[in-house]
Amino acid sequence: MDPFINDLVAYWPQILTGLQRTLMLMVIISVSGIAGGVCVFYLKLVKNKTLRKWTEAYISFFIGTPLLVHLFLMYYGLPQLGIRLSAFTVAVIGFTLNVSAYNARYLTTAYNGLDKSELEAAHAQGFTHFETFHLIILPQVMRLSVPSLTNQVIQNLKDTSVAFLIQYHDFFAQMQEIAATNFHFFKAYMTATLVYLTLVSVVVLVARRMERSIALPGFET
Amino acid sequence: MALIEVRNLVKKFDDKAVLKGINIDLHQGNSKVLMGTSGCGKSTLLRCLNLLIQPTSGQIIFKGEDITRPGVDVRKVREDIGFVFQHFALYRHLTVEENVTLGLRKIKKMKSKEAVEKASHELNRVGMFEHRNKYPAQLSGGQKQRAAIVRALAMDPAVLFLDEPTSALDPQMSREVVTVINKLFLDNITMFCVTHDAFLAKYISDSIVFMDDGVIVAEDIAERLFYESVDPRIKQFFLSVIDHR
Repeated sequence: MDPFINDLVAYWPQILTGLQRTLMLMVIISVSGIAGGVCVFYLKLVKNKTLRKWTEAYISFFIGTPLLVHLFLMYYGLPQLGIRLSAFTVAVIGFTLNVSAYNARYLTTAYNGLDKSELEAAHAQGFTHFETFHLIILPQVMRLSVPSLTNQVIQNLKDTSVAFLIQYHDFFAQMQEIAATNFHFFKAYMTATLVYLTLVSVVVLVARRMERSIALPGFET
Repeated sequence: MALIEVRNLVKKFDDKAVLKGINIDLHQGNSKVLMGTSGCGKSTLLRCLNLLIQPTSGQIIFKGEDITRPGVDVRKVREDIGFVFQHFALYRHLTVEENVTLGLRKIKKMKSKEAVEKASHELNRVGMFEHRNKYPAQLSGGQKQRAAIVRALAMDPAVLFLDEPTSALDPQMSREVVTVINKLFLDNITMFCVTHDAFLAKYISDSIVFMDDGVIVAEDIAERLFYESVDPRIKQFFLSVIDHR
């Protein structure tokens, strides 16, 4: 049998654990990123100008600076200030802050395309600012943002691989170990590529199905 | 006592005064139409009356209460004023029925079943019941405006405001909507309507208020204002809108 296959079989439990960690991180940051994105998006719409400016600054900061720098800052930088966080905690916080900023931007872009007379109608009916947000604005911008949000989920899945640089033992970290141990670089990275491609394909299939299930007349994206 | 009494209402945007001391009354069961050239302040006045725009000074007495005073319950005021917009403003992620029931459930706190029954009754009144499960994108302009009227009426408001309800419609759809509003007029629904449409104004009004440059110039019944006014601004305006039709 091919020595690489032997290695895969031998390392199978670690690979499986790594895969579980990758998927767990992806699911957590996708959910927290959408929740965070909705919160940041809400803050973009509040009446308080100062709060709106700070929110825009937050979005610009996280979109304008590399994710890896944030992860390194928290994992390697914070201990110098006496704050020690596990690799998993850093990954979840770092990704959430980053993904929330991107998601807020997608939602804001969708919001800019909304017919604002609906919002005036909601206020005229007596809905409060928050009711208008969650009953009128959010259901529409979420629908309009589905392609961008699902692309972000795919991006999240791929980006989890950088977490191995802060000692998070995900799938890619396990493949890296196999490659480095027995020098099967090409086969190991090729296998990793195929596994990521399979996972992304599953996410795409689920996303397209979801898009179809929530499609409404007038919301063709 | 009038349902709405407006006293010396002024609205300025920066230094520009759009409303320059408006005085007007609207009584229960009465229907008034507000006409005037574009930019004369008609829509601003309508939006000030339900506090979508905050007036700069003056008083609006609604059902005996000054709603311009600080601390007024804006939600309660708006709940009692139905508003129909020029471009329909239906919530496009909701069906016609959901558009009507949303306010009933969330603002009037009606149970879903009760809200649906109320919506069905109101939709029937304007011939929209069969379209209740359609989304706004599946309706014609006239149907959208009829749905928007039902959404406002279902809340049982004390008064219905209509802001240019026919100006985004072609003549055939416009007739459809005029027929519906005329029916409301005959049912003595209290209405305050802004329009350029002389045909609509004639069929839905007890009196017409003419505005120019932020002030009320005249108020009279349609025929007298259309054909007998000696004010050159009024003559000029009605000559153009009536000829246009």
